[in-house]
Amino acid sequence: MSHAVSPLREPLVSEARTLHQLTDEIARPMERRPTKAWWCAFLASFSALVLGVYCVSVQVMTGVGTWGLNKTVGWAFDITNFVFWIGIGHAGTLISAILFLFRQKWRTSINRSAEAMTLFAVMCAGLFPIIHMGRPWFAYFAAPYPNDRGPLWVNFRSPLVWDMFAISTYFIISAVFWYVGLLPDLATMRDRAKSAIRKAIYGALSLGWNGSQRTWLRYETVYLLLAGLATPLVLSVHSIVSMDFATSILPGWHTTIFPPYFVAGAVFSGFAMVLTLMIIARHVMGWKHLITIRHVENMTKIMIATGGIVGFAYATEFFTAWYSGNELERFAFSNRAFGPYAWAYWIMVGCNVLIPQFFWFKKIRTSVAAVFALSILVNVGMWFERFVIIVTSLHRDFLPSSWAMYAPTFIEVGTLVGTFGLFFTCFLLFIRVLPAVSIAEVKAVSGYARKIGVTTEFREQSAKKPVDSWRERNGEPNGHGGRTPPQPQSTQRSEEKKKGDKKEDAGAGADLVTEAGE
Amino acid sequence: MTCLHCENAPCETVCPVLATVHSSDGLNQQVYNRCVGTRYCANNCPPKVRRFNWFEYDHGEPIERMVLNPDVVVRSRGVMEKCSLCVQRIQAGKADAKRAGRPVADGDIRTACQQSCPAGAIVFGDLNDPKSRVAALVKSGRNYRLFEDLNIGPVVSYLTKLRNPGSKEGV
Amino acid sequence: MSARMFVAYFGSEDGILGATRAVREAGFEIHDVYTPYAVHGMDEAMGQRPSRITWVCFFAGAFGLAVALALQIWTSAVDWPLNVGGKPHNSFPAFIPVAFELTVLFGGLTTVAALFLRSRLKPRMSNAHVLPRVTDDRFALALVVEGHAFDADRAEAICAAHGVVETDFVEVSK
Repeated sequence: MSHAVSPLREPLVSEARTLHQLTDEIARPMERRPTKAWWCAFLASFSALVLGVYCVSVQVMTGVGTWGLNKTVGWAFDITNFVFWIGIGHAGTLISAILFLFRQKWRTSINRSAEAMTLFAVMCAGLFPIIHMGRPWFAYFAAPYPNDRGPLWVNFRSPLVWDMFAISTYFIISAVFWYVGLLPDLATMRDRAKSAIRKAIYGALSLGWNGSQRTWLRYETVYLLLAGLATPLVLSVHSIVSMDFATSILPGWHTTIFPPYFVAGAVFSGFAMVLTLMIIARHVMGWKHLITIRHVENMTKIMIATGGIVGFAYATEFFTAWYSGNELERFAFSNRAFGPYAWAYWIMVGCNVLIPQFFWFKKIRTSVAAVFALSILVNVGMWFERFVIIVTSLHRDFLPSSWAMYAPTFIEVGTLVGTFGLFFTCFLLFIRVLPAVSIAEVKAVSGYARKIGVTTEFREQSAKKPVDSWRERNGEPNGHGGRTPPQPQSTQRSEEKKKGDKKEDAGAGADLVTEAGE
Repeated sequence: MTCLHCENAPCETVCPVLATVHSSDGLNQQVYNRCVGTRYCANNCPPKVRRFNWFEYDHGEPIERMVLNPDVVVRSRGVMEKCSLCVQRIQAGKADAKRAGRPVADGDIRTACQQSCPAGAIVFGDLNDPKSRVAALVKSGRNYRLFEDLNIGPVVSYLTKLRNPGSKEGV
Repeated sequence: MSARMFVAYFGSEDGILGATRAVREAGFEIHDVYTPYAVHGMDEAMGQRPSRITWVCFFAGAFGLAVALALQIWTSAVDWPLNVGGKPHNSFPAFIPVAFELTVLFGGLTTVAALFLRSRLKPRMSNAHVLPRVTDDRFALALVVEGHAFDADRAEAICAAHGVVETDFVEVSK
């Protein structure tokens, strides 16, 4: 039988919905024309993407010299953006895999878009290791493939090779995990589709999914296995990213605390980005009953925890530098807090250590506007964290003769803006063509399925309907008369759907009115 | 400062494509046509001796081309470069000795910096040959290596300045 | 390949769970159950055994690990050993990250491939093989009719006790 859920718990879907209504609500936005708001957002993101394409083209055609780097500061915006975007991606996997393993059912309405966010963030991140190269057209040199140069392989001792394996594995596994999760919903879209083209596309993508329990059992097993694989994977990816720094010998980079510190920071920044996106999505798509205040609150709580870990790591770094007695270490950290880039350091501390403390207050946690503003500040803070680690460590290294300063050029800023353009363009396209909330999973946790709370009347409604027996159709006792023989898509089905749609339209309108006051 | 040709070179470990490796001579080599230009090696280089080709530098002028050393490849844009300890002279010296059927003698090979230093402050030779001039200087007691605390094992080392050579306290 | 089946549609999870358990206990042969989402406890109701795909995942992962270690050790220490930063040719600790990543990659991809092959999931342009509304709000129970004496009245009575909303005889693809 279905698992018992305490009636004291707040329901995960906060309003009574039948299964068909849930399908309808999630699928409808993809079946109508884009709204004006969507077009505005899309044009803005696409313009940013175009700017990014321009900046990257100039840089690839002219040389890395178009960036503000010098011989001392060899990495700055490029790797900052890389680590920033990878970190953003990690919250998606955390929600989809780690919370799945912990049986946190509240993840269901946000996991799909969080996973999409992971994919797009990893795409943005993956761009930087390629374009930061002096000769990006030779990026494939970093892959071990048989060749006629000896054969010359790659240096498996280099963290950049680990990175390449980690990020490509992460992207592939995240994409597969996402696609497997999409299968049942693609089938739902296929079965709702009215145009032949949509039917064919969703049909091809849904791989003939028919809801068979035999498939569901294997599917659930595979999903669990993928979650089990993705969990250590996500921890390994950011640990490996942190090893780009931790395995070097530069004071400020050369610390063993980096892997856990980076993973916590990644989750922290990722949740900030999930919140930013979800708060927009629940407003734009009218999914306030699917992405509830409870979801927002849970995510802010995770941010308090991970923000605390990050703050503790900042303090530990200073303690270790002082306790080590190593002059270079001590200098690297005093320079971080009081040197030429102290402003960046204090922005980082302000945004990452102080801002999450506001989330201790229930009033702030439950105020969507406040959470939205604070989540953006955390994103800023986490971007600066990577900037501080990379630039302040490099610009004052071992020999004062090589000390230098760094300032970004227009091209670098444009590239960063461009990645935001890429990210949001992909995200906006995603919510147009794929179900942004997992239909199947939300159904499984909806009150309707679990027989709790206000949904009883909905259940009774469907139960009261007379049994539509095969006998009637064959003209046997008390039938409604000569019905058409049953076919996979009977006319009766579409009639019912139309009725349902009408009812639903009125319902959805009413929701928006009542929820405006939330 | 020049490349120290560290024995445990931090730049080599981090290069993803094996564009900088150690030769059997003990040189830290930079392979320009393999380099993809991640600049990780430069970031990890304590003395920051590596230089990056930020742009394609134009050498189209025929007169300008005449000052380029024909023995040294012109590095293209996007690759890292650094002191090679005049690997072209080392190879030439070794080839000459081989043609003459004898081992390379101390002083056969002179690096360009050594050759052009009027004060003769730069000495190049085989550290493994106990009779070489450079080996004697390294053992002289005036020798020191940079970044010894990092255990990177620089092969290029320096001699301290002599102060008060008459008194016994000085060194 | 398709066969005639007795299909009973239900409007809720509890209905299909109860009916499935009841028809199985009554000795009917269940062809399959079609649901819009994974109904927990259905494997038990249908008497399914746990999937063996976990083993595929384990062995594929182990194979990935072996391939990764072999590739790294062979290329670094055997095929062309190079002196990189004075490190040993076989720098085993440095090979762990890539070994781990390939373990996950092989394990994950093979597991999903196994799912697709075993459940015969492949691109299909039409949905003619799918029972109506089972990807939306219906839960369908398909019982095997052919090959033995099928008591339709009894099956219907059991289903009615669990709140069936529609019954039918349909050609269901196997």
